[in-house]
Amino acid sequence: METAIKKNTITDKLLAEFEASKPALFGDLSLREEAMRSFLKQGIPNRKSEEYKYVNIDAMLKGEFSFFTYRPLMVKQISNTRFLKGAINIVLVNGRCEEKLSDMTSFPKGLEIGYIADASFNEVFQKHFSKYADINTDAFIALNTALANGGAFIHVAKGAVIESPIHLINISSAEESTFVNSRNLIVVEENAQVKLIESFESVDCTAKTFTNSITEMVVEAGAIVDYTKIENENEQGYLINTTQVYQKEKSVVTANTITLSGSFVRNNLNVALDGEHIETHLNGLYLTNENQVVDNHTLVDHRKPNCNSNELYKGIIEDKSSATFNGKIFVRIDAQKTNAFQSNKNILLSDEGTINTKPQLEIYADDVKCSHGTSTGKLDADKIFYLRARGLSEISAKKLLMHAFASEVVDAIKIESLREYIEEKISKRFE
Amino acid sequence: MANELLAEQISKEYEYGFVTDIESENAPKGLNEDIIRFISKKKNEPQWMLDYRLKAYRYWLTLEEPHWAHVTYPKPDFQNIIYYSVPKQKKQLNSLDEVDPELLKTYEKLGISMEEQKRLSGVESRIAVDFVMDSVSVKTTFKETLAEKGIIFCSFGEAVQEHPELIKKYMGSVVPYADNFYAALNSAVFTDGSFCYIPKGVRCPMELSTYFRINSAGTGQFERTLIVADEDSYVSYLEGCTAPMRDENQLHAAVVEIVAHKNGEVKYSTVQNWYPGDKNGKGGIFNFVTKRGICLEDNSKISWTQVETGSAVTWKYPSVILKGDNSVGEFYSVAVTNNYQQADTGTKMMHLGKNTRSTIISKGISAGFSNNSYRGLVRISKGATNARNFSQCDSLLMGDKCGAHTYPYIEIKDKSGIVEHEATTSKIGEDQLFYCKSRGIDNEKAIGLIVNGYCKEVLNKLPMEFAVEAQKLLAVSLEGSVG
Repeated sequence: METAIKKNTITDKLLAEFEASKPALFGDLSLREEAMRSFLKQGIPNRKSEEYKYVNIDAMLKGEFSFFTYRPLMVKQISNTRFLKGAINIVLVNGRCEEKLSDMTSFPKGLEIGYIADASFNEVFQKHFSKYADINTDAFIALNTALANGGAFIHVAKGAVIESPIHLINISSAEESTFVNSRNLIVVEENAQVKLIESFESVDCTAKTFTNSITEMVVEAGAIVDYTKIENENEQGYLINTTQVYQKEKSVVTANTITLSGSFVRNNLNVALDGEHIETHLNGLYLTNENQVVDNHTLVDHRKPNCNSNELYKGIIEDKSSATFNGKIFVRIDAQKTNAFQSNKNILLSDEGTINTKPQLEIYADDVKCSHGTSTGKLDADKIFYLRARGLSEISAKKLLMHAFASEVVDAIKIESLREYIEEKISKRFE
Repeated sequence: MANELLAEQISKEYEYGFVTDIESENAPKGLNEDIIRFISKKKNEPQWMLDYRLKAYRYWLTLEEPHWAHVTYPKPDFQNIIYYSVPKQKKQLNSLDEVDPELLKTYEKLGISMEEQKRLSGVESRIAVDFVMDSVSVKTTFKETLAEKGIIFCSFGEAVQEHPELIKKYMGSVVPYADNFYAALNSAVFTDGSFCYIPKGVRCPMELSTYFRINSAGTGQFERTLIVADEDSYVSYLEGCTAPMRDENQLHAAVVEIVAHKNGEVKYSTVQNWYPGDKNGKGGIFNFVTKRGICLEDNSKISWTQVETGSAVTWKYPSVILKGDNSVGEFYSVAVTNNYQQADTGTKMMHLGKNTRSTIISKGISAGFSNNSYRGLVRISKGATNARNFSQCDSLLMGDKCGAHTYPYIEIKDKSGIVEHEATTSKIGEDQLFYCKSRGIDNEKAIGLIVNGYCKEVLNKLPMEFAVEAQKLLAVSLEGSVG
């Protein structure tokens, strides 16, 4: 009974916040109301819900939350987060676009970037907003669709090839516990090419931030998107990160998800392959320690024939941390000649750590080649011996092996300066 | 080509769909405490047994039917089932000659004639068989031969009368009545089953076998099997099942418990061929079974081998709890679904002891409009040092209207554990077919060859006496459907 009351309080608070913020919300209010109803129907997921089996969301949402997200930050404070050379940096603090911290002055031809709220009268926005992240599939999608008040809108015009990477810097910064709902919409038109980086950092953050972020990405025919996510919040950061990718024929999407720190990180990466001859590459790396909880869910939905998807997720788990990988390959009845592969490899370094992995295949077409594999183990004693026989200390041998294990994922990152940045973070981590 | 073969297979009739004309004594339809008291009284059970049943029943009332499996079926009406059905017989049977000839014919049709058993009695390789028809064990063969070694092999009902101390000790120790919805139901209404106890240091000289058959209309079958292998003992146990063709869905909710003590080994093989329903998916058995073994002490081993070809809906996960150090769990499965059959099957390997090892090999074949899922759990608990698991789940799809799914759960809490899982889904490789055909093997034979090779890893694990029957069954289920 006690838990029921608690559950009600957070739901009640969210409902009260919705009612209060209603007049200020951008976009179609009826959609917002529908999403809120859907959220109330679904409720905050608990451990009995299959999709949230290994995380205790209830406990994370205990206590008071503020929905007031404004934080004035100085350019100096965030300089570390602008780590990419030659990138177009867009800074979002608690979901709010900070123009004076961003490079919002001029964009290359064919590129349009703005606040999501400002874009809500845009035709492209109206065509695509909330068309891909289904409010009835996940309570947090519903909640975000109801409450979202920040985020970015990125539009890449037909045939435009954007050379400079676009870096969306999501900063969590709070003095009291804050609940953030931020929402991005990225539309890449036919034959366009773009490189996107989304990073999650904490700056001057001394209180819990619970961020419920959704990125909807539309990739039209023949477009090529390279998308990398780096999650690097501090121990106050709780992050639910949903990415909904919708691909049309002959498009290519590479999505890299690198999880380095943060108390709780949940990634929902769903890709719908709705056209023929699509290529999708999903790579993931999670390095967890202390009491971190990292939960990666991926869904690759093959709707049309002749597509390829490839997925590789790797993790190193230390201390009392726990990591979950739940990947599903879904091949619909018409999606013949599908090639879909999935691999998940983990190294568990401590007895207090936990790995849960659930690689799934759900296949309704017969002329397909699908496979998944997962392995979990310790560092290979033979390899350590080999290195030690050549004069390396045990510790440096182990470090070398872990680095090599992680580099399979890191090597897939095409932007050189980004790869170097991540490698540096990994090296620091293993020190 | 494929379509022709598929059509041929679809038109294939279930070969075991006869009804044996034997008078049977039934309880009235429905389920309440009186029915349970009726069953208990009929079976002349002691008070503790009745109490156990009632406790399970009262708990069952609080439960809701589970729905998480990847299957859809009309909810069984638990008040529309006959929970007790006995083939009528006048007195205790002493020899095979006294068994109702109609019943003997039934088993002859099944291809496991008791006459043959008799004839073979001089031969070394023999099988002791316990026949369970509808709900009640009909006859156990070779009981005396086994008794010489101290092996107890009898119907569950008999065991309750004659060995209450063993039943009290072990029943519900692996699958408690509160385990799940169908285990609770079974604990409340089970009517018979088999009990087997292998004493210390005894290697059972023959294969033990139970044959289950649902005969009467409107009945459900709820049997319990309990196998206990004491220290340093070994037994190989076989189970087979068939049912007549009926338009209604009949419910089979069994519980199988296995206990292996120190150095004990149990090998449990199943060939499940309940009536799968007709080509439109009408009728067929709902097979909701709880099977679990526990490697209680060090160096024990439990091995499950199953060939699943029947049932409209199959829902079972033979599991092993690896409690003793160095214990071993194995699961080998071939599951075939055709027409509108649905199977959600797999295993659970719970590693608790040190140096425990488990192997899972699952081969799914789906054809027609069927859905075939593998669902498995491998859990390495904290303190289960050097645990090792290897899983391989392959699916073969035949036709574009069926589905094959894999849902493995892997939970690891010990750093020394090593777990590997791999799964593939595909149809028969064109290159393999081409290879065979270029060597003069015709299409259908080539397909047969490839499928046979695909399942071989599992079929090889079946005891000799059973392998023949399993291959025959696979042939019936698969012949022509591949292509």
